Amino acid sequence: MTIVPRRRVLKAAGFAGLALLVPPELLAACSTANSQSSARSFLVFDPHEALVVEEATARLIPGPHDDPSEMGHPGAREANVTRYIDTMLGALMVSPPRVFAGGPFSDRAGSRVDDMAKFLRLTAAEVRGWTERLDALRAQYRQGVKALDRLAGGDFPSVSADKMDAILAQDPEGFMTLLFGHAIEGMYSAPEYGGNAGLAGWHDIAWVGDRQPRGYSDAEVTFSDGPDVYVPDGIGAQLLSLLTTSPI
Amino acid sequence: MTKRALVVGSGPGGSVAAMVLARAGFDVTVFEKGANYFTDLSADLPGTVFSNDELKMDRSFSLADPSAEPRVFRSSPQASPITGAVESLPQTVGGGTVHWDAKTPRYWDIDFKKLSMLGPVPQAEITDWPFDYGEISPYYEQIEELIGVAGDIGLFPTEPTLVHAPRKTPLPMLPGPPEYSSLVVSEGCRKVGLHPFLAPMAINSREYHGRPRCNNCGFCSGYGCPILARIGALAPLREALRSGAELRANSMVVRIETNGRKVTGLSWLDDHNVRHSESAEVVVLAANAIETSRLAQLSDLPDPYDLAGRRVMFHWFSEGSGIFLGERLHNYRGRDHTHDIDDFADPDFPGAREAAKKAGLPYFRAGKVELGGTQLPLDEARSYQEVLRLLVPQKPFGRDFKQLMRSSLLRDRLCGVELIGEDLPYSANRVDLDPTVRDWRGLPVARITYGPGQSELAAQAFYLPWLIKLLKAAGAHVAVSIAEIPSTRFPIAQDQVPATEHVMGGMPMGADPRTSVTDELGRHHHLDNLFVADGSVFPTSGGHNPTLTIMATALRQVTRWAGTA
Repeated sequence: MTIVPRRRVLKAAGFAGLALLVPPELLAACSTANSQSSARSFLVFDPHEALVVEEATARLIPGPHDDPSEMGHPGAREANVTRYIDTMLGALMVSPPRVFAGGPFSDRAGSRVDDMAKFLRLTAAEVRGWTERLDALRAQYRQGVKALDRLAGGDFPSVSADKMDAILAQDPEGFMTLLFGHAIEGMYSAPEYGGNAGLAGWHDIAWVGDRQPRGYSDAEVTFSDGPDVYVPDGIGAQLLSLLTTSPI
Repeated sequence: MTKRALVVGSGPGGSVAAMVLARAGFDVTVFEKGANYFTDLSADLPGTVFSNDELKMDRSFSLADPSAEPRVFRSSPQASPITGAVESLPQTVGGGTVHWDAKTPRYWDIDFKKLSMLGPVPQAEITDWPFDYGEISPYYEQIEELIGVAGDIGLFPTEPTLVHAPRKTPLPMLPGPPEYSSLVVSEGCRKVGLHPFLAPMAINSREYHGRPRCNNCGFCSGYGCPILARIGALAPLREALRSGAELRANSMVVRIETNGRKVTGLSWLDDHNVRHSESAEVVVLAANAIETSRLAQLSDLPDPYDLAGRRVMFHWFSEGSGIFLGERLHNYRGRDHTHDIDDFADPDFPGAREAAKKAGLPYFRAGKVELGGTQLPLDEARSYQEVLRLLVPQKPFGRDFKQLMRSSLLRDRLCGVELIGEDLPYSANRVDLDPTVRDWRGLPVARITYGPGQSELAAQAFYLPWLIKLLKAAGAHVAVSIAEIPSTRFPIAQDQVPATEHVMGGMPMGADPRTSVTDELGRHHHLDNLFVADGSVFPTSGGHNPTLTIMATALRQVTRWAGTA
């Protein structure tokens, strides 16, 4: 039997029926209840910076409120990526610094205690290195936000989605590339770092995340999970064709 | 009176040295520049803060901080230098074995007697090791028992593996569960005439020495083991501590003090950069090939023939990636990969002699290939970030990105194979002190000048297509190869900083002080009580993971001189 990928099912089902096919945990993760950035306080961002970062990252990794075809698929807004970035930029403003989560376990795979929530002390070399890097990053964010505003004629969040996309695609001062990299971290890293709210990022890509102390059974390691056919189309087909034609 | 021995570095070489010396009655102190992420290491089962956390490792946890403790890389003396993370191995108690996926092949007979058995190569400094395979075999066995190697020698291929690395005794543990992806690629290998087998690895397949069996969490290569099912250098280090050795973490040795032909002690800096001194009867350097070479030069150790830091070697890790559309391979479970092939380490692999001849070489080798492995989501996402710049420059983000993440083409549907290519020793490839860049302590950092020779280029060109061939035979819909070593043929790798994390050479062993830094026991030719016990003593690199050989070599050397020192 051929398993049809869920994405194709969604396409065939049409927009109206989408919500019926979406797993409930994703629907919950798509709620906007916890994404009112401007109402929250931040370590580093002022309210306007937070708003610009929120809107820009929502264009880079859109959720259902940012791109209707992403119905059922939470994005940066739902995963609380802005909070992740603010936490990272202000990592040394709290003690212990929010740089390295602890271990060995979170409470997601069989442990009652979330050791990862207890962040680790840094060595003197790490304090030096992170101070330097975060100082530089905070300056890049300040300038990056200004660059986005400038290209938007003064206020980035107030322009249309298409206009935002066009501005971001220009990658002013390399800020889109920087922001995208951090949005990726906020989307798909462990929630202890401030993003991936409700595991929205991991659920969307069928990623289990940390797995200790439960681990996997020997059978889960050795045997196939069964067929799961990916039918290339759209961007996936383009990627495969790129890899086929230009060996890297 | 008890003699004092100071060991610089708590990785595989230093830990073995500390164990042997502590058991021989020396008063041993082990200095480790990095932090200790384990609770009481002499306890039955120490705790740790290593975890299944991709971002933490991405942020260089337990590695040298790339801006506070950088290195400098140049692909030639004329090339513009790159400053940052270069060959960054774990800098922490346990050293490189904290992060390894613990593959423990033995080197081959031809690795130890390369000059005698294979002959010279133009431009390269090919020499024999001071001992042969037969002589080091019992030390291999002791280390395999100590760190707990799982594997079944009955499954190793006779040709080429057992012919070149014969085994008499079974390994202490049976193999753990094979990984599905490794099985799929192994089948492809068989179809094209190669000899895949379950690789030996120091990962528990049952409870061993009080530590639990591996539970297949999958965060293996590049990650510290959260449950210590994989112990590495901590096994001998724990033995050393139980025999009375002392461990000082966050303590960087910055100078070896000498007087004539004698080492008198050393100076070290604590985490607040305060300087301390210790005297000693014996000093052992085991800070890894790059840092030992750096420390030798920071200390102005005698070097009349300008040899220290030269002939540094990195295995080249050229890769193949196959994408499978029919199913998800769940490569993220288990021990990174479970199968290897050794065929490409054989200088007599069909066609290799002819290809070498065409390239003007007497012979060449690549090395073993690890079958299996993939990316976790952060790396995967960054791959798509790059790819979208090429595919959709007008909007390289948004829904396309999320669709790619859900397709998992470069994660759950990907299976990698990794070639560990032999790197020959060249005098021009060297570690020295950078004239301008300093670390946060104010000390000159290691500068690495490194480029491949004709042998590496020719071997890579010959074997890269094989990686695609075996992946295609395994059923990959798309297979690509990715060159690791710089080459004009592969522009993407031009001036690339090698990232193999297998670092060797710089203080090579040999009988002749005019061509080697250390003698056949790893003793410095010009300092009677200074010994080197890490991968920097390797005269040649072999084509297999070096850690087991680092440990077995240290065990042989230190056992032999400890009685006389």
